[in-house]
Amino acid sequence: MSMVYINIFLAFIMSLMGLLMYRSHLMSSLLCLEGMMLSLFIMMTVAILNNHLTLASMAPIILLVFAACEAALGLSLLVMVSNTYGTDYVQNLNLLQC
Amino acid sequence: MNLFTPLMLTAMFILLLPIIMSNTQLYKNSLYPHYVKTTISYAFIISMIPTMMFISSGQEAVISNWHWLSIQTLKLSLSFKMDYFSTIFIPVALFVTWSIMEFSMWYMHSDPYINRFFKYLLMFLITMMILVTANNLFQLFIGWEGVGIMSFLLIGWWYGRADANTAALQAILYNRIGDVGFIMAMAWFLTNSNAWDFQQIFITQHENLNIPLLGLLLAATGKSAQFGLHPWLPSAMEGPTPVSALLHSSTMVVAGVFLLIRFYPLMEQNKTMQTLTLCLGAITTLFTAICALTQNDIKKIVAFSTSSQLGLMIVTIGINQPYLAFLHICTHAFFKAMLFMCSGSIIHSLNDEQDIRKMGGLYKPMPFTTTSLIIGSLALTGMPFLTGFYSKDLIIETANTSYTNAWALLITLIATSLTAAYSTRIMFFVLLGQPRFNTLNLINENNTHLINSIKRLLIGSIFAGYLISYNIPPTTIPQMTMPYYLKLTALAVTIAGFILALELNLAAKNLKFMYPSNLFKFSNLLGYFPIVMHRLPSKMSLTMSQKSASMLLDMIWLENVLPKSISLFQMKMSTTVSNQKGLVKLYFLSFMITLALSLILLNSHE
Repeated sequence: MSMVYINIFLAFIMSLMGLLMYRSHLMSSLLCLEGMMLSLFIMMTVAILNNHLTLASMAPIILLVFAACEAALGLSLLVMVSNTYGTDYVQNLNLLQC
Repeated sequence: MNLFTPLMLTAMFILLLPIIMSNTQLYKNSLYPHYVKTTISYAFIISMIPTMMFISSGQEAVISNWHWLSIQTLKLSLSFKMDYFSTIFIPVALFVTWSIMEFSMWYMHSDPYINRFFKYLLMFLITMMILVTANNLFQLFIGWEGVGIMSFLLIGWWYGRADANTAALQAILYNRIGDVGFIMAMAWFLTNSNAWDFQQIFITQHENLNIPLLGLLLAATGKSAQFGLHPWLPSAMEGPTPVSALLHSSTMVVAGVFLLIRFYPLMEQNKTMQTLTLCLGAITTLFTAICALTQNDIKKIVAFSTSSQLGLMIVTIGINQPYLAFLHICTHAFFKAMLFMCSGSIIHSLNDEQDIRKMGGLYKPMPFTTTSLIIGSLALTGMPFLTGFYSKDLIIETANTSYTNAWALLITLIATSLTAAYSTRIMFFVLLGQPRFNTLNLINENNTHLINSIKRLLIGSIFAGYLISYNIPPTTIPQMTMPYYLKLTALAVTIAGFILALELNLAAKNLKFMYPSNLFKFSNLLGYFPIVMHRLPSKMSLTMSQKSASMLLDMIWLENVLPKSISLFQMKMSTTVSNQKGLVKLYFLSFMITLALSLILLNSHE
């Protein structure tokens, strides 16, 4: 595999680590989720353009659309938590009360 | 060419003169009531001449003078029908009105607007004449609405009293419901026989007349206070006693019965309508007689008595005897108006006391009123050879010997005995015993107007039955032969009612007043009918319209069906299903360690 792909793959792994290991703010995991989406987008675009898979040129854009929806969903969950507790500290989510 | 039609038109035109003169100085004069009374007496005498012509030769006439308009194929004109019914009814109505006018000269003497009162009474009489002599349905409707409006103005005569205004409005509303039936009948006749003239309607043959006859029955129910649309008649006693005597006993409330009598050629072929009429009249007469038994206001008892007699007239139409019903209308006018006038005399002498529990022992201070009250009550219950006997006994005999509904017949007989019962009750409480009123009342019945008017109706109550029955042209043949027990049925139930009521009254005279039983409460509160029906349907329809207007579209469809129901469902389900504890960081860490471990394990496979 060429160096470009390894680089982007490493970026994806870094963001995944950031998603799974964080201290208190829920916002940081959401930001890492965005980072994962970004690296996936770049990898997909580079692969399609290098191998001239013209018919698959739609795929990155569709990925972007779905990433936007998912970010909105994550943000609304963050807002709900922040409405209830005032902050987005993840140690607040222990009561399971709506 | 004789003077039948000119004299009849003159008699009716004379009635218009005081109304026309109401813009002149005569109206502001204090002699105006006297003028109106003499006008009506002249009109009565003049109208007796065509009536006697009719009696001797059987001449009927239709006067059709002025062509008003033609709407495509419908021709509307001013036409008067002088047949059996109107020729006999007009003198009777004018005689009764003459007496009532003279009575109200005494009764309303202290009223500052007495001239306006007489003008209203005269306008009522004119519209009643229009109703009775109408030859087409349009003119009849004009008279119909006219009597309704004059009834409204006269019931609410003392308009400062809230109860009077409510009663007047109630009368208008209940009559309006009946008018819907009238208009339905008019529309049916317009589309199916292309005319509103009686002659054309009776000649053309229709196969199914149920719809217009139902409409006419509904109109009669509204105007004549049959069961279902009856509460306005007892409430109409808020008006002055002359109004009750004229409108709500003799003339206006018989307009509904008169309408059904006019349409007898259509009703005598339709068995369904006859059965409906019979049952409606039977229910009315029994129900109102029951309600009359426990009322305490003397005018309300007489009002329920009127309602019960109206039910009897409707029963007579239901057994296919329109001429007998008409005879009962004419005879009933005499003694019922007299009963009201006697009540008015008593009320005025006792300083406006209307409760019979506060009257008593009036047979010594008011002998003339006592006499006429007793004779009126006897005539009402059908004492042999007084006025009521000639119509009421014939009705009961005919009902007994005809092939009719046994249940309706039975409750008519029960209502007849109840008539005797409440009449005895009136006489017992008002006339007999010791006085229960204030001692400072000046009881005086010495006024000429009062005595003359009641005396005229008294002579009418005794002799009019015989005179009318003897002189009218023969119509349907009454049943001549029947078993003796059927012939004596009316007399027997009446005497039973008298004796029973007298015994009960005498036995309970000095006993302690018990708490009212359920049956007493049913009878005293008019069968709970006004209480329920005045509040419940209007509240229900208003609530339903509010709910469907505001809540149906906005709150339910836009707000509640998708958004709020989904959120509610999700919350309920998530709290039911989830049993996690929310340790997010632990879950993420375990996910990452598992991923790393699996990658390392899968890669070290050589």
